[in-house]
This record gives sequence, structure tokens and C-alpha cells, in this order.
Amino acid sequence: MTELEGWLTLATRRLSKDSAALVRSEIQEHYESARESALAGGATEEQAARTALATLGEPQVANRQYRRVLLTSEEARILRESNWEARAVCKYPVAKWFLLSIPVAFLSAAVALLLTGGMSPITRVLLAAAIATSLVCVAPFLPIYTPSRARVYRAIKCIVLPSALFLAFGPDSRKLSWLLICCLWLLVHAETTRMSIRRKLPVAQWPKQLYL
Amino acid sequence: MNFKGTLPTLILEALVHEPTHGYRIAQRIKERSEGVLDFKEGTLYPALHKLENEGLVESYEAVEKGRPRRYYRITPTGRRTLTRDRAEWRELSKAVTLILGEA
Repeated sequence: MTELEGWLTLATRRLSKDSAALVRSEIQEHYESARESALAGGATEEQAARTALATLGEPQVANRQYRRVLLTSEEARILRESNWEARAVCKYPVAKWFLLSIPVAFLSAAVALLLTGGMSPITRVLLAAAIATSLVCVAPFLPIYTPSRARVYRAIKCIVLPSALFLAFGPDSRKLSWLLICCLWLLVHAETTRMSIRRKLPVAQWPKQLYL
Repeated sequence: MNFKGTLPTLILEALVHEPTHGYRIAQRIKERSEGVLDFKEGTLYPALHKLENEGLVESYEAVEKGRPRRYYRITPTGRRTLTRDRAEWRELSKAVTLILGEA
């Protein structure tokens, strides 16, 4: 393994395949230019290679900075797998109606229970499920494809999803606070990851699921 | 010497007259600062990608001396940002000079 290869291995650690390929090509390009320049300045082959490598700095520092601006392997995986509803609808067109019917089914069940037995814990859970699934299952089919619409949708989601959780737990919210915190943490974690991906991709390259 | 936080502005300044590739950007910064500002290239490219994600620069492939290279050019948004950064820098440097005194 050459010294440059060793540098690149460290600098591209945990980056996605595409990001790593981009880093490799630009650093190799840069290395060659620096080496040629050193050779033109009268350095020997060995000195030129050393000088060119020294101009690149610490690979660990570069890796940290690259991971802040380019997709990591984990983020690339999330991006690939998070369009599950689009893939499902493409494969089985009837899946669209199935997804749209989920919140309706929850809502119908909640209304039926509410009319027959009043507000019970199960009714609350069904209502919360109807609210949450209407956001998750219906949004992919709404015309949310501009950053401003996406911001509005996400603001609504940030208010509605935690509210749905509080509704589901009802008066037991305090007693089951550990469960509530776990659920909220999952929501926060998912949104933080998406925020990081949004920062790393120009809006023109955002797939539909990044708007949501 | 490396002044933290100034790299994006220096990159925009290096691109203001013509599009160029990463190596030339690094050389321009080094030459124009008479060797005082010597950014490690491992940190130059992440900064370029950040500027690209923010829409301040654009990149494209071009061939130079038979080798494909990635060129960067400043966008109109990038020019506006540079104008604002220049004004901020002038104010900041004036304030620091007032405190530290002229050498």
C-alpha cells in the first residue's frame, strides 16, 4: 500500500461509496499536481512524493471534515431505504390505497369506540395512531416538493407527532415518562439524521423523502 | 498560520475572477498571502463541498493537460456572500486594529 493509499483509506473512513470515490479522485488529482510542481522545482521523485503528501495534512482531520459535508455510509443507507412507500407503490399500485386507508381505519375505529364506550385508553391510542399515520402515510402523496412547503410540513410534524404521543399516553404520561422519552428520542434521532443529510445535499438533488 | 473561519471567504475570493480547480485555489491563497496562510488541502476540499452544498460555488468536470479535473466557479449568491464577508472583515479588522494598535 502506497503512502497516498494509506492516507486515502483513513480520510475516506465511514464515507459512502460515492463520497469516497469523489474524495479519492480529487485528492489524487491534487496529489499529482503537487508532485509535478515539486518535481518541476527540482525535487527528486521521493522528495516530491513526500512534499505532495505533506500538503494534504492529517487524514483524520480531513476525514472528520469530509464526514460533516459528504454523505456517510450510514446516511446513504438511510437515504436508500427511506423511500419504502415509493418502492412499495411502484411494485404494487394498490399499496397506495392501502397506505391511505391506514389512518382512515384507525380513525373509524376510534370514532366507533368513542360513540359506543366514550373516551377510553384504547380510543386515545387509536386516535393518536390515526393522527400519526395520517402524517406518515399520506404525506408522500401530497405535493410537498419545495423547501418552503417542506418546512411547513415539518413544523406541523414536529408539533403533531409529540402531541399524538401525549394523547396516546393520556393521564399516564408522567408514569410512563421513560417510554415517552424513548419514543420522542426516536423521533428526534430520525429528524436529526435527515437534517444532516439535507445539509449535505443541494436542494436540487433531494429525493422526495428528504422534504418530509 | 491559519485563521479559523476565513477559509470559505478566501476560497470565494480565489474564484472571483475565473473558475479553477482545488490545487490552484490552494496555490492562490498561499501566493496572495505571501505564504502566511497555508491551509492543508485535506481541509480545503471539505470547505469547497460545503460551499457547493450551500449554492455558493458550482463544480464541473473539465480536461486539463489530458487529465480530467473538477473545476469550481462562484455563483451569483456566492458573489453576494463575498461582498458581505468583505465588508464584515473590514469592520472586524478595523476594530481589532483599534484595540491592538497599528504595528
